[in-house]
Amino acid sequence: MSDGPAAVTPVPPPPEPEGGGSVSGLQAFYDRAGGLLVPVAAAFLAFLIGGIVVLVTEKSLTAPFEAYKAIFEGTGVTWFIPGVGDTAEEARDLQQTLLITTPLILTALAVAFAFRCGMFNIGGQGQYWVGLLTGIWFGTHFDGAPMALHITLTVVAALLAGALWGGIAGALKATTGAHEVISTIMLNWIAIWVGKWLLEAPDGYLQGTDPSLPRSNDVLDSAKLSEVWNWGGLQPLHAGIFIALFAVLVYHLLLNRTTLGYEVRAVGFNPDAAAYGGISVKKNYFLALAISGGFAGLAGAIDLLGWKYRLTSTEFDANLLGFVGIAVALLGRNKAVGILFAAFLFGALDVGTSPRQLDPEVFNPELATNLATMIQALIIAFVGAEFLILYLWRARKRVGWAGPRRVEPELKP
Amino acid sequence: MADIPLLELKGITKRFPGVIANDHVDFELVKGEVHALLGENGAGKSTLMNILYGLYHPDEGEVRLDGKRVRIDSPRAAIDLGIGMVHQHFMLIPVMTVAENIVLGVEPHSGPFLNIDAAEKRVRDLSERFGLAVRPEALIESISVGMQQRVEILKALYRGAEILILDEPTAVLTPQEAEELFEIIRSLQAEGKSIVFITHKLGEVLAIADRVTVLRRGKTIETVPREGATEEGLARLMVGREVLLRVDKTPAQPGDPLLTVEDLRVFDERHLEAVRGVSLEVRAGEIVGIAGVDGNGQSELVEAITGLRRPESGRVVAVGEDITNEGARDSLEAGVGHIPEDRQRRGLVLDFTLAENIALKDYCEEPDSKWGWLYPKRLVARAKRLLTEFDVRGGGPQTLAASLSGGNQQKVVVAREVSRDPRILVAAQPTRGLDVGAIEFVHRRLVAERDEGRAILLVSFELDEILSLSDRILVMYEGRVVGEYSPDVSEEELGIAMTGGGREVAA
Amino acid sequence: MSVAEASQTPLDRLRRLGEARSLAIIGIWLGVLAVWLSVPPFTIRALVVPAAAAVLGASLGLWALTRGERKLGWWAIGVALLAILVALWFQSEESAELESVFSIGLLAATFRFAAPLAFAAMGGIFSERSGVVNIGLEGMMLAGAFFGIVVVAETGQWELGLLGAMAAGAVLALIHAFFSIHLRADQIISGFAINFLALGVTGYLFRSIYGTRGTPELEERIPNVHLPLIEDIPFFGDLFGNLNLMIWLMFAVVLTSFIVLFKTPIGLRIRSVGEHPKAADTVGISVFKVRYAAVILSGVLAALGGAYLSFGTGNAFNENMTAGRGFIALAAVIFGNWRPFGAFGACLLFGFSSALALRLQGSPLLPSDLASANLLSTLPYVLTLVVLVGVIGRSRGPAAAGRPYVKQ
Repeated sequence: MSDGPAAVTPVPPPPEPEGGGSVSGLQAFYDRAGGLLVPVAAAFLAFLIGGIVVLVTEKSLTAPFEAYKAIFEGTGVTWFIPGVGDTAEEARDLQQTLLITTPLILTALAVAFAFRCGMFNIGGQGQYWVGLLTGIWFGTHFDGAPMALHITLTVVAALLAGALWGGIAGALKATTGAHEVISTIMLNWIAIWVGKWLLEAPDGYLQGTDPSLPRSNDVLDSAKLSEVWNWGGLQPLHAGIFIALFAVLVYHLLLNRTTLGYEVRAVGFNPDAAAYGGISVKKNYFLALAISGGFAGLAGAIDLLGWKYRLTSTEFDANLLGFVGIAVALLGRNKAVGILFAAFLFGALDVGTSPRQLDPEVFNPELATNLATMIQALIIAFVGAEFLILYLWRARKRVGWAGPRRVEPELKP
Repeated sequence: MADIPLLELKGITKRFPGVIANDHVDFELVKGEVHALLGENGAGKSTLMNILYGLYHPDEGEVRLDGKRVRIDSPRAAIDLGIGMVHQHFMLIPVMTVAENIVLGVEPHSGPFLNIDAAEKRVRDLSERFGLAVRPEALIESISVGMQQRVEILKALYRGAEILILDEPTAVLTPQEAEELFEIIRSLQAEGKSIVFITHKLGEVLAIADRVTVLRRGKTIETVPREGATEEGLARLMVGREVLLRVDKTPAQPGDPLLTVEDLRVFDERHLEAVRGVSLEVRAGEIVGIAGVDGNGQSELVEAITGLRRPESGRVVAVGEDITNEGARDSLEAGVGHIPEDRQRRGLVLDFTLAENIALKDYCEEPDSKWGWLYPKRLVARAKRLLTEFDVRGGGPQTLAASLSGGNQQKVVVAREVSRDPRILVAAQPTRGLDVGAIEFVHRRLVAERDEGRAILLVSFELDEILSLSDRILVMYEGRVVGEYSPDVSEEELGIAMTGGGREVAA
Repeated sequence: MSVAEASQTPLDRLRRLGEARSLAIIGIWLGVLAVWLSVPPFTIRALVVPAAAAVLGASLGLWALTRGERKLGWWAIGVALLAILVALWFQSEESAELESVFSIGLLAATFRFAAPLAFAAMGGIFSERSGVVNIGLEGMMLAGAFFGIVVVAETGQWELGLLGAMAAGAVLALIHAFFSIHLRADQIISGFAINFLALGVTGYLFRSIYGTRGTPELEERIPNVHLPLIEDIPFFGDLFGNLNLMIWLMFAVVLTSFIVLFKTPIGLRIRSVGEHPKAADTVGISVFKVRYAAVILSGVLAALGGAYLSFGTGNAFNENMTAGRGFIALAAVIFGNWRPFGAFGACLLFGFSSALALRLQGSPLLPSDLASANLLSTLPYVLTLVVLVGVIGRSRGPAAAGRPYVKQ
């Protein structure tokens, strides 16, 4: 049923009368059930397969359980359950988890917003870097500026830089039809290499005072976000988490309660119908990717101002926050609350598998990091497929039509 | 004519979720006959034939060929049994040649290589044998629709079809092309082929069929011989009640011209000139019908008028405002309403609720929104009112548009467009794929809107619809208006104009 | 409008546009020639020669412009302008410095950089021609790179390594095929998941098998092919006399891809499935089988590209070593209009940009900031973006690419 105007359906209209309530009621049930079941099932399957991989490579039946247990204990989630372990240690772990959750929320929003406009933004990573690099410049300049002003300035600049980076892909798609998947990937690599150029000797423009080190200076104290939760350990939790939470609220309202959101969703579901309704599809492609980029740029800024304070060029090879954001958005079904939970899950996974938290005696953290990547990939795959399974449910009533695509899959104009 | 049926379908039942498309349908075909399968849109004709061709699998029932029970679980199996089908939407690959399309799947080859010369020769031989002239080396996208249909028939014959199913074959043809098709059918019949002719047009049944089987709501109603059958009688069998064959309406009282199109030239996606200098005028209180075969620039003309496609040159003036290069938003704000030709692709966002769909053109204005802030409750309230007024069934304001039937989806589109109170209404194929009830609804509504003083431009490929609704008729052929007629013109005359044989408009 | 013009069929007009298009394309090539003339081995010192070529190219572009061929016309003019600037700049540089960059080695390096792209691009063509978008090429390359080198390290035989790489690519492709064909998952998401999965799996096993030491010193790599007769021919011999086996294989794969796609029944069927699956289905072609085969083939080819990276031109595996090459290959597919030779041309272009970037590192031709390896590394990505922008709108891909086929 992929072709042609299949409007001339081979099927007569349903033998009604069926009260409007029952059909939509059923619909809502599938939405609700699917909304929770699919991600949970996808996550479960992914962890299961991850466990099998551990089992096979470690050649021990208990290895997967030990590995997952160790990862779990490193996440600090047990803090919520009173009387399980050492509260202070748990709190420190949880602090780390939330620290990673914060940018993940934002990189996920960067994916989700574009998604709702029918685009797949794989450029969150590059947009994050551009935001962070811009943040370095603003954060290391303006000595003596009042704190509130300096932070605002830096954060806004980073947000705009991210928006610009996303907006380039959006503008290219709008004007020439260049597919955002390829252009955002290219922009990622451009951001990374330009970033290295800026940080590395000789004479990187953002390089710090020590010319032998490929890294920037720390941002000035006046640009650092204040801490909100400090149980000791390396980095306290910073005010950025509130910025992230606020961004989720903005995302939700923007999408569902504004005309801009209405346009973005209309374009995402059906660009032809949107154009027919007088909506500029091109404008929305641009805006959606720019706003997406803004979220990712914001992630870079608050990571920088919240706890990193500086950037070392080796980080470009290690940091995958932008990509993990894709898994978060898909698992959270591009919904505000879903993203919060999914970000927390992946934040915990990331911290639990980090070298700092994981005892190498139990499970090698370098393996664990890659295990986490694998699990995220599997979740993306399963949730992606489940989208369709749910659609098949709906397609029963939409006879003669292949179903909307969240993303335009054609790699062509 | 022999009495032993060549093909028998017995008790075929096919259920789709929520619908029974075929309910214990019986059908038989005698060798050498032309057997019409008559029914309105959605009666289950295509489903039945798709089952016969192995595209659908029946839930119950059996197929017998030459008295033997056969299992047709794929088109391959159908082809092997000598069954060929010409689908309503052609199964041709536009970017490939005629010969490539015909031999696809059974390609002549020398070693591992495709022997395209042999393919072209075979196609040429076959087309000479059956009198179906085609150019084997032409690209499908460069030949006419009538020619494409011949390619489809040749495709079936090439595979040795003895039984040929033609699904709504005249839907895309002019009356003259249809007559040529009938000639082809007769010559195939003379060669001993048996033909199933699916249609909802009564005249065709009487013109070509030996026998008629009528389907209604998925059930076999009756099989009757052509002798003694009348249009009225068949119509009653098909719809199940008396049908008004013409729409009731009073003579038009045209007022001021509201829509003026001057020397409009429009290009299509392939940068070919689809509309080549069209001028027309629609006055308040009249319906101007544009007749023509699909693909003669009607879609591009409509898109240019409604701001969905930028014209190359010329002018579009709506209610005194020049909207030539202004885009869809300006067009609709100037008072142009638009019922698009494809409600699922254009007219509706299927994943939006009905409330959201009804707001598709007003969401950015008060009361739906203010300063960019949307008020969903107001959307719902308005939707509730309109859904009742336009008798939309199958869902409320919060139902997804996708879950409605085609007729109700179209009512939602009409509700939105009409409720915006446009001075001009452009209706492109407003009844495509609808059942009789919904068609009547749309027709009555269009006439009512005309009587309200709106200027209505109707584009349709159905001559009946054009003839019964229009106050003036323009015929489009190859991007030009080639004639203007009053509604009492004969179908034949329109048909000739639709193939480019009409008189030129003086203007 | 004259009578003759008025009676033109749409096809005639298309043909006329085709003429303007080919003029513009010639214009672009003239611009390229203008640049070429000013670099070694020609190093023409009289500005007038490249300038003449460029001006001619620009005027052809202008002519095309007036005949309605806007995009390519502007391209021709742009390239010509660029050519004049480059020629001017090169006139002022020392020959020796120019020769350090523009040498036979540059062309040889172009082949080396283009080869992995070309394998992946041919894979991409098969997959997309059958109607399955495959952005998982990147991951399949990465898997090929890793599993190939593992087998070579274990067995010491590069032939087995290639087989191992192909198997790994095929497995990943099979997963992608299953998700996008049977489960009807979104092909872009599924492809992305494949990339991420490959990243995780190769990273995991890399660490699990080799720890922090990295892949061991290889005893065998894919060998070069010495052609004693050809080696002695000047210029030609320098280029072709001692190429890696995989580069010859690349030429063979490109040629074979073209023949299979356009000269055999198999190709006709693959293309029909990608254009109009239902039409193919109604004549008894199994859409699913064709798509599975094409996607798996794409994985095998992409993996060969990866294998060449890790133990053909290189001799080690690094995490995420494909660095976006799968996506560049996809851009090449689009640029080449889903045709093997076109895509191969694009791969050569991208390969050339990488080779040039490598040669320009630290070159006195550039100011020292710009000659940085980091900055020059962006060149292939920037070029990909530019090309993507320039080409889109005119290339028409397989009509059904990206859409799952729903069998009744």
